Amino acid sequence: MSAVLDARGIGMTFRNGDEMTEVLKDVDLSLEPGELAALLGASGSGKSTLLSIVGLLLKPTTGSIEIAGRRVEALSDAERAVFRNQRLGFIFQFHHLLPDFTATENVAFPAAAPAGGISAAMRSRARDLLARVGLSDRMDFPATRLSGGQKQRVAIARALMNKPELILADEPTGSLDRVAAEQVLDLMREVNLEDKATFLICTHDLNVAARCTRRVTLKDGRVEQVVQG
Amino acid sequence: MFTFTVARRYLFSNPGQTALLIFGVALGVTAFVFITALIQGLAIRLTDELTANSAHVSLEPAMRIARVLPGEDAETASVAIVSTFQRPQIRPWRSTVALLSTQPSVLAISPQISGSAFVVKGETVAPVAVTAIEPSNLDAISPISPKIVSGDANLGTDGILIGARLAENLGLSAGQPVLLRTDRGIDRLLTIRGIFQTGVQALDERVAYLSIQTARPLFRLPEGVTNIEVKLVDPGEARTTAAFLQAATGLRATAWQDKNAYLEGALVAQAQTGKLIQAFSLISVLIGIASALSLSANRRQGEIGIMRAFGVSRSFIAAVFVLQGLLIGVVGASLGCFSGFVLCFWLATLTKPDGTMALPIAPEEGGYVAVFLLTTFGAVLASVIPARSAARLDPLEAIQQ
Repeated sequence: MSAVLDARGIGMTFRNGDEMTEVLKDVDLSLEPGELAALLGASGSGKSTLLSIVGLLLKPTTGSIEIAGRRVEALSDAERAVFRNQRLGFIFQFHHLLPDFTATENVAFPAAAPAGGISAAMRSRARDLLARVGLSDRMDFPATRLSGGQKQRVAIARALMNKPELILADEPTGSLDRVAAEQVLDLMREVNLEDKATFLICTHDLNVAARCTRRVTLKDGRVEQVVQG
Repeated sequence: MFTFTVARRYLFSNPGQTALLIFGVALGVTAFVFITALIQGLAIRLTDELTANSAHVSLEPAMRIARVLPGEDAETASVAIVSTFQRPQIRPWRSTVALLSTQPSVLAISPQISGSAFVVKGETVAPVAVTAIEPSNLDAISPISPKIVSGDANLGTDGILIGARLAENLGLSAGQPVLLRTDRGIDRLLTIRGIFQTGVQALDERVAYLSIQTARPLFRLPEGVTNIEVKLVDPGEARTTAAFLQAATGLRATAWQDKNAYLEGALVAQAQTGKLIQAFSLISVLIGIASALSLSANRRQGEIGIMRAFGVSRSFIAAVFVLQGLLIGVVGASLGCFSGFVLCFWLATLTKPDGTMALPIAPEEGGYVAVFLLTTFGAVLASVIPARSAARLDPLEAIQQ
């Protein structure tokens, strides 16, 4: 089975005036379909930068990235946007739901925006996803009337809307209380097991990492350790 | 259109702010409509007052110029002397009147004898400008009959109409005889048939009306007339008609605008001032829209970032903000046009104690189509800057903020 993600020799250098900061150095990372991987490391280790590069939100200085069999590091801005929309899902620490839309509309948004509207099929899938994340009774609630945990569950459903090959999560439980965080982690694990969805979760939280099948630790911009199981 | 749905939701998400923004646009548009209607109304009133009481085209004898023609061997010399040997008059005036009568653009024709004279009473002598007309045409150019305050407008064969101010100065009243001494040195005792009051001091003190038959011997003009005054259906066509009549008759034709060049200059200056005020009100409206949408784009950075992250295109984001500008422009301009019309209509109903309009406002001349299009287009233009800045947001930076 071919890898969902195959990143080789990723390097990232930021220029700040005359000063050059090398954040990532020759990082290799590969994920098989259905993996639930944690990206660990101290602040400044480069894990968020790596996640952004894999999510096509940043272009690496060096290296190659293949996602679902396609080389993506040289794509144009517009091509990257289309690729993100069709092949990747995002879950951020802050859900950033659209406050003027209902839970269903928020979930359907990634499919609706390029299509020019929410079709009946999109609405139906969005409602199925919301039911799956336990929000059957909140489907038509405006995003502003949901709790923090519920919002993050809507964000997970939104990430799944376009059936992505790879879901990238950046501190997905970082802004939640313990109970809500557990529920979100359970949900992600469930989606991972049932849908064979591949997750790459960037986290500080060892409890989150413990739930993952693989833990990749970064230190000073390099892969320090990979723990399987 | 999904962008329209998003734009509408964004506007409705803060109804108070959106209402305030639309109110601001409507207020600017109302000011624009008011200024336009007022300036146009003033121009219409001034023009109407002038054209209602004066000829639109005046026909006078062509200037007679004596010239020295060069001989074959002589050097060319240019000499032009205005001839005073013959009295300027229009002899074939009947054929000119006949020609004028065939023109559909001509409303009224008044052949006249104009000259200077003195009204003499005892030792008092007052100069007057005499206008001699066909009695049946008395009101053709400037309605005098409605302005008679004493006596009547029936000139007869020995009658004269004088202004109220002149009558007061000389202690004259209707029915009294008065001596008229013309610039040809001829005296005749006439009867004051009526006294008129136009409200214009120069007219009420210095103008007298006679019948053309009475005036002929007084001004030694047994056949001709000194001028033919013409009123047109559309005063705006005066210059074109004057050019046509001058070519057709060989007479000197002058349009009312050229006789009152000061008015045209004043109207142009007034219109330019109005345009400046209109421009400033529109600019303030557009700045308001641009700043409100910029604030909205700034406030929504996180949402825009996440939209960009899951692949929504830059053009989608830009379109959402441009559509917001369009909606604000259309709704604000519509409300402003409506409130502007209502305001102008109401102001037009206000009258002074004498029954005339308190403000010379023309509600139908508010420039509604122009201000609607300008505001809508301007609102779209004003939204381009915030739209571009929103579309250019780096998703990563926006999400991290």
